[in-house]
Amino acid sequence: MATTTGTATEPVTLRTRYRKSVWLRLGEALLWLLLIGIAIIEIAPISWMFSTSLRDPKNSFDLPPDFWPTALHWQNYLAVINSPDIEFMLFFWNSLKIALIVTAAQLLTCSMAGYAFGRLRFFGRDILFGLFLASLMVPATVTLIPSFIIIRSLDLMNTHWALILPSVTSAFGVFLLRQHFKSLPEELLDAAKIDGAGYLRIYWQILLPLTGPALSALGIFTFLASWNNFVGPLLFLRDWDKFTFPIAIATIRGYMGSGNQSEVLAGIMISIFPLLVFFLLAQRWIVQGAAITGLKG
Amino acid sequence: MTSTALPDDKIDRQANPQKGTTLARREAWAGYLFATPALLGLLTFTALPIIASLVLIFLHYDLLTPPKWAGVENLTRLTSDSRLFKVYWNSLRLTVGATLLNNVLGLLLAVGLNRAMPWGLRYLLRTSIFFPVMTTTASLAVVWRFLLTQDRGVVNFLIGQIGLDPVPWLSSSAWALFSAMIYDVWKACGYLMVIYLAGLQGIPAVYYEAARIDGAGFWQQFRNVTLPLISPTAFFAIVISLIGAFQIFDNVYVLTEGGPGDASRVIAMYIYEKAFRGFEMGYASAVSFTLFVILITLTLLQFLGARRWVHYE
Repeated sequence: MATTTGTATEPVTLRTRYRKSVWLRLGEALLWLLLIGIAIIEIAPISWMFSTSLRDPKNSFDLPPDFWPTALHWQNYLAVINSPDIEFMLFFWNSLKIALIVTAAQLLTCSMAGYAFGRLRFFGRDILFGLFLASLMVPATVTLIPSFIIIRSLDLMNTHWALILPSVTSAFGVFLLRQHFKSLPEELLDAAKIDGAGYLRIYWQILLPLTGPALSALGIFTFLASWNNFVGPLLFLRDWDKFTFPIAIATIRGYMGSGNQSEVLAGIMISIFPLLVFFLLAQRWIVQGAAITGLKG
Repeated sequence: MTSTALPDDKIDRQANPQKGTTLARREAWAGYLFATPALLGLLTFTALPIIASLVLIFLHYDLLTPPKWAGVENLTRLTSDSRLFKVYWNSLRLTVGATLLNNVLGLLLAVGLNRAMPWGLRYLLRTSIFFPVMTTTASLAVVWRFLLTQDRGVVNFLIGQIGLDPVPWLSSSAWALFSAMIYDVWKACGYLMVIYLAGLQGIPAVYYEAARIDGAGFWQQFRNVTLPLISPTAFFAIVISLIGAFQIFDNVYVLTEGGPGDASRVIAMYIYEKAFRGFEMGYASAVSFTLFVILITLTLLQFLGARRWVHYE
C-alpha cells in the first residue's frame, strides 16, 4: 500500500505534469502528422516516376497511378539508352565531364585563393578579398546577359568551355575556405616553416589535408550545381551531342512527352540516379554541408 | 622533416620575417600567384559582366548589328512597360508565398525532426524530405508537369478520390502561378529544414531544461525558447529564400512556360525572353538592373537588419 502510493506520487513533480498537458500531446501529434505527411508528399512523385518508368508504354497514362512498381518493363530504360535518334548516354558523359572539371577547378582555385587571403601577407590583399565579398552579393541572373556576350565574343558558343570557364571559381568558395584556413593554428605553419617547407608545400601538404569537411562541402555543392545547371546549357549549347542531362530532358519532353510518358520518366530516372546513389552514400556530409555552407553564406 | 639542415641565414630571416625584405617580397609574390586563378575568374565572369551590364543599359544592341547609343530610352521604357509590372507582380506573389511556406514548413519540420526518435526513423524522414533538394529542378519540373496534367494527371486523380473537382493546375491563369509555388515548396522546403535543424541544434539544452522546470509546455517552450533563439537562423533563411525565389527560372520555364498568357511569367523569365528571344540586350539589361537593385537591397537588409530585431543569445 505504502509502496504503491509512493511510486504513484513520486514523479508528480515534473514528469506527469509535463505528460498530462493536452496541448502538448496535440502539438506532438500534429508534428508527427506533418512530418510523416510531408515525407510522403516529398517522396511520392519520385516513387511514382520510378514506378511509371517501369510500365509498359501502352499503359503509361493509365489511372490509378502506381506509387510502387507493378510492372517491370525495364525495356523502357534500354529504349532510352539505345534510342536511334538521341545518344542518351552521351548526355551522361557530358554532364559528368563538366561537373567533374568544374568541381576540381573550383576546389583548386578557391583553396589557393583562400590560402592567399587567409594566410599570406601582400599589398592590396584586403581590397582584393573585399572584391570577392562584394561579388557574393551579385546574383547570377544579373550577370547573365553580359556573360553571354563575353562567351560569344570568346567564340565559345556551343562548346563545353562556355559552361566550364564561368564556373572555374566562386566567390563563395574563396570565402568559405579562407575562413577555414584562417582558423587553423599559427603554430602549425610556423613549425612547417621552420622545417623549411615552401608556400606550395604548406598549402598542399599541411593546409589542404586539414580542410576536409569544408572542401568536401564545397565539392559536393559545386558538383550538384553543375549537374543540375539548366540556364547555362540553355543559353550556350545548340547541338544534341553537346547537351547535358537537364537541357536534354527538357527538350526530349517536347518531342515525345505526350506520346510516351514512361520513356521520358526512365530518362529522368537515369539522370537523377547518380544523385540518388551519391546521396545515400554521403548523406551525412551533404546534410551537414548544406547547413555549413548555408549558414556561412 | 629534419630542421637541422637549415643554413644559418635562413633561420635568421625566419625569426624576423618583418626585417628580411626578400622574405616579405617572396610571401607577397606567393600571395599574388595563389590568388591569381580565382581573381582572373572573378574579373572575367563577375566584374567585367557587371561593368558591361551598366554600359548595356544605355545601348541598343541586338547581337547582330553594332551597338547604338540609346541614352536613357531603356530606362524610360521601364516605366511604361505594363508587362513588366505584371511580371513583377507575379514574381512578388510567388516569392512571398514560397518564402512564407518554405520557412514555416522548414521550421516545423526541423522542430519535429529534432525530437527523440529511433535512429532509423529519423534517417528515413530526413532522407525523404531532403532528397528532392538535390534533384534537378528542370527535370523534376517535367515530372510535375505530368503529375499536374488536368485530364489524366495523378494529382487530379487523387483529389478526385476525395470527391473534389479536377483543377486546371497548369492551364488556368488562376492556378498556374500557384502550381509553380507548390513545386518550389516541394523542391526547397527540405533545404530550409536542414538549415533550421542546424540552428535548433545550436540551442543549448539547458534552456529547455530550465523552461520545463518552470512548467512550460510544448507551445510555451516553442514560443519562449525556440523562436527567440532561432531568430538569427530564421532571418538568414528568410533572406536567402527571398533572394532565391526572386530568381526562380527553371521551375516556371519548364512547368508552365510562363503561361497561360503571362499568368505565371516571372522576372527572370522576362529578362531571358527580352534578351535571348527578342535580342533586346539593352532593355533586358535595364530590366535586370531593377532586379539587381531589389536583390542588393535584400542583401543589405540582411547585413543591417540582423542587428535590429534578431535576438542573439
